Amino acid sequence: MSDVKSSQPAWMSNRHFDWPDRLATVLVWLVAISIVAIFVWIVGDLVRHGVPHLSVSFLFEAPRDAGRAGGVGPILVSTGLILGVCLAVSIPVGVGTAMLLAEFTRRGGGFGLLVRRSLDVLAGVPSIVFGLFGNALFVIYLGMGFSILAGGLTLACMVLPILIRSTEEGFRAVPDDYRRAAAALGLTRSAALWQILLPAATPGLIVGLVLGIGRALAETAALLFTSGYVDRMPESVLDSGRALSIHIYDLAMNVPGGDGNAYASALVLIVLLLAINGLTFWLADRWLGRRITPQ
Amino acid sequence: MRVIRSMLGLALLLNLLVIAACGDGATGGEGEVQGRLIVTGSSTVAPLVGEIARRFEQKHPGVRIDVQAGGSSQAVADVQRGTAGLGMISRSLAESERHLDATTIARDGIVLIVHRDNPIDALSDEQVVDIFTGRVRNWKDAGGDDGRITVVNKADGRATLAIFLDHYELQSRDIKPGVVIGDNQQGIRTVAGDPHAISYVSIGTATFEASRGTAIRMPRIDGQEPTLEAVHRGEYALARPLNLITHGSRSALAEAFIAFASSPEVHDLVEAQYFVPAVE
Repeated sequence: MSDVKSSQPAWMSNRHFDWPDRLATVLVWLVAISIVAIFVWIVGDLVRHGVPHLSVSFLFEAPRDAGRAGGVGPILVSTGLILGVCLAVSIPVGVGTAMLLAEFTRRGGGFGLLVRRSLDVLAGVPSIVFGLFGNALFVIYLGMGFSILAGGLTLACMVLPILIRSTEEGFRAVPDDYRRAAAALGLTRSAALWQILLPAATPGLIVGLVLGIGRALAETAALLFTSGYVDRMPESVLDSGRALSIHIYDLAMNVPGGDGNAYASALVLIVLLLAINGLTFWLADRWLGRRITPQ
Repeated sequence: MRVIRSMLGLALLLNLLVIAACGDGATGGEGEVQGRLIVTGSSTVAPLVGEIARRFEQKHPGVRIDVQAGGSSQAVADVQRGTAGLGMISRSLAESERHLDATTIARDGIVLIVHRDNPIDALSDEQVVDIFTGRVRNWKDAGGDDGRITVVNKADGRATLAIFLDHYELQSRDIKPGVVIGDNQQGIRTVAGDPHAISYVSIGTATFEASRGTAIRMPRIDGQEPTLEAVHRGEYALARPLNLITHGSRSALAEAFIAFASSPEVHDLVEAQYFVPAVE
């Protein structure tokens, strides 16, 4: 707001030309309000249609009658396992690659450039392509079949570019003074990385994680071909398991009369997403951020 | 001694198993089936087969049936490649697929739908063709009120599109669509939201949606009353079979599951998914 006003050249603030200023103010307000309105509309719609179908037993029961009755118990477990596999793979690989890019390669170096370009291309690839790739590599070639493991690994491939790039930015945001001070104190490079740079880069890691988890939980196309459609309680990560987003898609599109439970499941998904994001902030703050206090 | 005793124990265990199998076999047909079966294919059939599989698993505790949805074409590819033991297709086998074996477990009809406020009561085959090919563009030329017709067509690869084209002997490029959609539910929502729209969807889905108050109507086509009963009697021309397909010799488990899925034991499940049980 104030930004718009202060950026107006001086001739615009003279009385004669006052109306473009007003117009810009109104437009900016309208755009901002419509964004909030869309959010409120979506959530309101979900709450209005979803809450009547929601209960404690909905969270624990298995779906019945193709999902029209019953709950989402096994589906929540599958979703959790898929996300667990995805994070267990993507966090170490992501943080490692980000460290390499930020701390061990030169800014303009050939290798770093190659890795960054590949990541940028991967970040723009549609999820259906990751789904087909995951199906070809994990499900068929590596023989995992339709399984939670294959789904989680496919999601990891999808989430990695976002995670790496934002963690790398986190590392780059750490002032060079920290590195010089660590060197001056005689810290080894690994000690400086683990004790100072990684905790200081946590904000970048958190942003990457929140974006990545959001993308992973919302994913339908990539999981349809990898973790599959089975709504039974999974016994291991080698079983096929239906993710919440696929359940919502199936109820809304393939099951006549499934829209009530689709709304309820969508509401569960949004609450789950908010809860996981909150937990991510809290954990990262507790484990890493407290070790040092940047700025 | 120990060996003999363990052998005896084993024999006893086997005996018990055989007895248990016989007890179950009375309903299942032959001996107890075991193992895992992967079923892939049509997203129209998948919810039904999922329910049938759940009941089958309850009867045969040693069995796990994984149902994956991806489309009829995927079913054909998967059973040929062997990645699935069983496929689901929401149409008949094509000429090029005659080497596969198909068993019909249920039937589904296709019905034309218009908005509830559209006064059209019946359309002749000729009128349907004229509307979908763009020769008739206004409802008043088809016996309705004044209003430009919105033709809602299915995307290529959809089984309902194939059956529609086949029945009216049309080519995909002949149809002049105003809107192209994917699933049945999407078709119903589009037509319910546009008073001048016309589309074709699964008769079971349309009957269910109309009964719960969605703003759609099903006009008669060429004098045929579009009801589930007509599909059941086999009198409805625009019907499609929902098939389970296999390639080559069937495993004992696949055989048992197909027998179960086409038996009267699952008719309530078929009807619960708004399909019509197959009549032998």
